[in-house]
Amino acid sequence: MKQYKAVNWNDPENDYALMFWEQNIKQFWIDTEYIPSKDIDSWKALSPEMRECYKKALGGLTLLDTLQSHTGMPKIMDHIDSLQNKSVLAYMCMMEAIHAKSYSTIFTTVATSQDIEDIFNWVQNNKYLQFKASTIDKYYRKLAETDISKEDLFMGLCASVLLESFLFYSGFFIPLWLCGQGHMVASADIIKKIIADESIHGVFVGLLAQDVYKKLPNPERAKEKLIVLLNDLYENELKYTEEIYTDVGLTAEVKEYVRYNANKALMNLGFEPTFEVKRVNPIVLNGLNVETTQHDFFSKKSTNYEKATEIVHLRDEDFAMDTSIAI
Amino acid sequence: MVTNDVAKSWILLNNEIMIKHDDEFSLHKDKEAVRAYFLEYVNKNTVFFYTLKEKIDYLIENNYYINFYEWFTFEEMEQVYNFINAKKFRFPSFMSAFKFFQSYALRDDSGEKFLERYEDRVAAVSLFLARHEGVDRALQYAELLINQEYQPATPTFLNAGKKRSGELVSCFLDEIGDNLNGIGYAVDSAMKLSSIGGGVSFNISKIRARGEAIKGVEGRAGGVLPIMKILEDTFSYANQLGQRPGAGAVYLNIFHSDIEEFLDCKKINVDEKVRIKSLSIGVIIPDKFMELAAKDEPCYLIHPHTVMQEYGKYLDELDMDEMYDELITNPKIKKKKINARHLLVKIAQTQKESGYPYIFFKENANRQHALNGIGKVKFSNLCTEIMQISEVSDINIYGQEDTIRYGISCNLGSLNIATVMDNKRIEQAVKTAMRALTMVSDVTDIAMVPSIQKANRELHSVGLGAMNLHGYLAKNFIMYESEEALDFANVFFMMVNYYSLQASMEIARERKTTFTGFEKTAYADGTYFDKYVNQDYFPTTIKVSELFAGIDIPTKEDWKALKQQVQEHGVYHAYRIAIAPNQSTSYIMNATASVMPIVDTIEVREYGDSTTYYPMPYLTNENYFYYKSAYDMDQMKVLRLVSVIQRHVDQGISTILHTNSRDTTRDLARYYIYAHKVGLKSLYYTRTRKSTIDECVSCSA
Repeated sequence: MKQYKAVNWNDPENDYALMFWEQNIKQFWIDTEYIPSKDIDSWKALSPEMRECYKKALGGLTLLDTLQSHTGMPKIMDHIDSLQNKSVLAYMCMMEAIHAKSYSTIFTTVATSQDIEDIFNWVQNNKYLQFKASTIDKYYRKLAETDISKEDLFMGLCASVLLESFLFYSGFFIPLWLCGQGHMVASADIIKKIIADESIHGVFVGLLAQDVYKKLPNPERAKEKLIVLLNDLYENELKYTEEIYTDVGLTAEVKEYVRYNANKALMNLGFEPTFEVKRVNPIVLNGLNVETTQHDFFSKKSTNYEKATEIVHLRDEDFAMDTSIAI
Repeated sequence: MVTNDVAKSWILLNNEIMIKHDDEFSLHKDKEAVRAYFLEYVNKNTVFFYTLKEKIDYLIENNYYINFYEWFTFEEMEQVYNFINAKKFRFPSFMSAFKFFQSYALRDDSGEKFLERYEDRVAAVSLFLARHEGVDRALQYAELLINQEYQPATPTFLNAGKKRSGELVSCFLDEIGDNLNGIGYAVDSAMKLSSIGGGVSFNISKIRARGEAIKGVEGRAGGVLPIMKILEDTFSYANQLGQRPGAGAVYLNIFHSDIEEFLDCKKINVDEKVRIKSLSIGVIIPDKFMELAAKDEPCYLIHPHTVMQEYGKYLDELDMDEMYDELITNPKIKKKKINARHLLVKIAQTQKESGYPYIFFKENANRQHALNGIGKVKFSNLCTEIMQISEVSDINIYGQEDTIRYGISCNLGSLNIATVMDNKRIEQAVKTAMRALTMVSDVTDIAMVPSIQKANRELHSVGLGAMNLHGYLAKNFIMYESEEALDFANVFFMMVNYYSLQASMEIARERKTTFTGFEKTAYADGTYFDKYVNQDYFPTTIKVSELFAGIDIPTKEDWKALKQQVQEHGVYHAYRIAIAPNQSTSYIMNATASVMPIVDTIEVREYGDSTTYYPMPYLTNENYFYYKSAYDMDQMKVLRLVSVIQRHVDQGISTILHTNSRDTTRDLARYYIYAHKVGLKSLYYTRTRKSTIDECVSCSA
């Protein structure tokens, strides 16, 4: 008979689950904390081509986050033995759902109902976007089977990391690029929160993948499969980029950025980067920095604050500090 | 077709600062960014005039400038412009140029073309401020401004001299009475003051708590939260024609029984109905509360309306040291028991999650307060540096006379410590700055909010501040946390106090009038001077003595003479000094903000409409070490330095705590305790440096 186990956080199962759990909790946020309505004027000032590009980019992102929260994370969870790692994945899964919703929060605020309907139709009918989704989904579906090989699991984890660390970024480019130049800044606060999350999701699932990789009977074959998958997605990503970025003249820069992030995904999986990257647009690169920035509380909401997890109470000696000042 | 009108080369260049070569940032890219910005943008978009006469006449005839010919001849104006232009001003960083042209330079009505350069703005401000005193005074202002020794606050610098402009003052505070007329007056004031660009702060401690009685029926009152919601919406509605969002703050006394709900409004996962997004919040903490926390005695939150019914007084007007025991033993006063230490930790937790609340230590603000004979300081403003008397007005129904009492109005400006010290012009700079601030108070008359109008008319309060402390210390190879920094601050701010008081006395002597109530103050009875007439404030370290070489430092004899003159002639300003956080204006001055430490050698600055990389002023490879980030400093040492400055400042100092996400609520609460003990009057935001997984992995590895 199967024995059911309860997750026991008192006994660390590895040296990183608790750290990721805590970092995730700290980063918790919800879309309605932010105020994208401040961008309405900025939105109206953008050229129609730029608006089209922005909407499509966010539409594509919505699809990827939907896939990740509804299929990717739950399926992966089934095959992870460590209960603590499972908990971290469950939390991440919940955040992915918040991400998927938050794009809608931006849409609802700046776009008309007709626009929104058009974008979701576009998502359903765009062949490159659908190719991304179906390619990744194939590996996730494999995980739905009860009896799978270690290699299948590894490829499922790889698909997840590629999605989190690579495929998202063609979509993130435009909000970061606009924000760096003072457009759609309030909405970019939400995007930056998502990026901060995706970056730890990619690292965490990447670590899980590396654990599995070490135990594979034929690691070389798995690595080859990964490279094939990466290249398929890369070719598709170039075409996708052309489709949404050509009208605003950013295709070349976004492609460079796509390669930069493909390398990052490989590094998260423990492999050497393979793409040659010359120069990534510094505005977007700087926008990606998820560390603390200075801001003016009156002009925008901060993205710097995090849920307080270190609650420690005061003691008597705290009130008996030395307060003498020599001067 | 390619449509891309967003890409800007100067923004790209400014971003390229962050690219590292041989472990060094590309600082030279900043100069390239300034150059590109001028060549490709500013110059192309500036209206060209052949002569100065043509320019001035055009600006006046087209309703951009007020008619300066009413006060000056063309030759006088030309003298001012020539003086300024001869100084050959150049923007030292991209940030300063960008900030000036983006936010301050006058544009034509289409909003596309610039009509002013920095020199023109300086000239317009100088002429405007001196228009009743003549060209010599205008030249004094011009020198002060083009030397970048003094920077008026944004509303003054932005609006002075313009025909169609907002107000010159920016900062207003008022009380709210506990009745619908009082609340209505506050909402009305909030809307009007916000529409003219003011930041407004209200003391909501007098409002009855949730669940208290209305007209004798228990359980009906909604408490402070609904009023905060109304104010928040009011501020966001009245936004200066969409130019900038209105900003407001509310302060609540920590003994008010709504305090926990008040703090919860900033938590991340809180119900939309009670979440406050853009309104700033502050907590008023009397000494009694800190005493209860220190002794770990039970603390009672009080229902304010029951106090009003029992004693006929507002809870936050009571002296809690005197009344607390009475309140907790009186059965008619409704109360709720809590743990004071837990409440401090809750404040810390809220700060970690949102940066709020501000903290106002009420008794610290009143201990050295020269106007105690007139009234008490009860709360502070949006930036926690304004600390003045206030009293709630009685607002009646239509047809009945209101009783208008003091709100608070303040206009601000900041000295640039580095240029003032380098030019050895502390006395001239402080006195000229005081004249400029006085002019602003003179021409300000906010008739639409009578309590604010009354305060300005009778008290003439101003707030002279300072910026570039860290920049000045670093360029002179002094660590911000050092004993030398304390030594410098102690002497410098004593001098600011001395010369500002002397200037105020001189103005009172010239005008043969003082602020209302002078005779009841510590200036009049002389006790204000006790600490200065018995002790000299000279530098005690060699390094700091060298910095003051060639500068006369007022002695205790000078102070004695000043005391005698003040008692004879009075002073013109009820309040003189307040150290503001000055963000935008410090960028124009290429200065480090306020008296606070820097946060990074290259600051990433986010605004609602831009992100800019700003290398700290005077930063080189030689002095890099002295640009230590506030996040890496011992916050107790920062507070210690602020407390030394505070000794010489009659109002307050915006003090920001810089913490790391690993710091616990206990660490934060210890800062509050320390700040309270060393005499700080307030704490402004708490900023938090985030930890990232990279960092976590590296320290766990």
